[in-house]
Amino acid sequence: MKDDKDMSCEHAKDKLEDWLHNDLDKADRLSVDKHLAECVNCQEEFAADKQLWESLAKMKVPEPREEMRVNFYAMLDNFKAAEATNKPFSFQTLIEKLRDIVLPQWTVQVAFSLLLVGLGWVIGNKTSQNNVSSTAYQQQIETLATQVEDMKSNMMLALIENPSATERLRAVSYTSDITHADEKVIDALFTTLNNDPNVNVRLVALEALTQFAKDAAVREGLVKSLALQDSPMVQVALADVMVKLQEKGSVKELRKLLDKEGLNDLVKNKIEQTIKDLS
Amino acid sequence: MNTLTDNSLMLRVKAGDLDKMGLLFERYNRPLFAFFYHMTHKRDVSEDLVQNVFYRMLKYKHAFTGEGEFRTWMYHLARNILNDSVKQNRSSDHYDVSEMADKLGGGTLADEGFEKREDVDFLHKAMAGLSDDYREVLVLSRFQEMKYDEIAKVLNINEGTVKVRVHRALGELKKKFFTNERR
Repeated sequence: MKDDKDMSCEHAKDKLEDWLHNDLDKADRLSVDKHLAECVNCQEEFAADKQLWESLAKMKVPEPREEMRVNFYAMLDNFKAAEATNKPFSFQTLIEKLRDIVLPQWTVQVAFSLLLVGLGWVIGNKTSQNNVSSTAYQQQIETLATQVEDMKSNMMLALIENPSATERLRAVSYTSDITHADEKVIDALFTTLNNDPNVNVRLVALEALTQFAKDAAVREGLVKSLALQDSPMVQVALADVMVKLQEKGSVKELRKLLDKEGLNDLVKNKIEQTIKDLS
Repeated sequence: MNTLTDNSLMLRVKAGDLDKMGLLFERYNRPLFAFFYHMTHKRDVSEDLVQNVFYRMLKYKHAFTGEGEFRTWMYHLARNILNDSVKQNRSSDHYDVSEMADKLGGGTLADEGFEKREDVDFLHKAMAGLSDDYREVLVLSRFQEMKYDEIAKVLNINEGTVKVRVHRALGELKKKFFTNERR
């Protein structure tokens, strides 16, 4: 009974740290104090420890400099900026990614078939892209061609008034390469056909105009031209064109031509034959 | 004010409200600095280490679960950072007695409680002479006023081991202090 109440030295030392921390409950505290009152050895030891313990508290620590705070907030700002650009990488997303990797077999199969479909799509896309690029290529060629045509039209218009018959011939020959002649070109050709002093140039102009005979205006012009021509060769050539085009509207003009004075007999026969063919 | 506990602040940092780390800094920069200063006795180094602790808490904020105490987690990181820095810089990071003596030279540290300034010097020398393990438990116990169970969590050892270690550290310190004093 007495042993229980009275603390042994060993037991007391066991409580030393708690005693220093002031961390003993009331009963233990009383027991330790009682033991210290009775045991001189322990009293000395505890006193020394307490002195040391108190001394430790007196060890001063300097204040951290203000730079530490400044640096901290700078670091925090940098971190926030980095976080904002780097966007949310969280533990959660990492786990989700891992779960995606370690999924059952069927997902692999599904993924594989999706991959095939994707591959097909990519290939399809690629080839259609090739189509796109080839049509683009086509378009480029077409624009180049129209540019060449424009250039030829301009050349033709520039050369058609040249004093040299050879140059005028060349000018008219340019029109053979023109698929869509504009009004200027057609006008120039008719002017040449009806007024050019050189028969050969007029014949070539007629040939050139025949190309554009699909145009009603061109056909009308050709019919009118019958009355204006006085060269037998051109008259015959025009008559041939009328047959070729099956231009029935020309019959009236052809009859007028027959009434003309001093008409070449050969031409007369040719015209009569033409009227027969058309009617 | 439940919203202002350390744990709830840290959980808000974890959720992306990084400014809340500023509040935790204001609460803990001095105790942390004191911890590092007691361990290294170097002001520059201690300031850098404090910065490192806060950086690491931001970087590994996702690892904070809120189940344990924030302070325990923080000192756990602080201790790892200190160990890393000691490993990196083994010679210079040890408690530097001569530097400490220079700092104490013109000071008035002996004013309160000490009869002689030599006592403080002896105590510093005695602390410097302890192994890192012993000094660490004394610093956490005496200066951070941690209970054994919290120290156990910080150091990742069991409470009984902490108690034994504190006891031995104190014994060692006492021996060094009183033998030095007598010389």
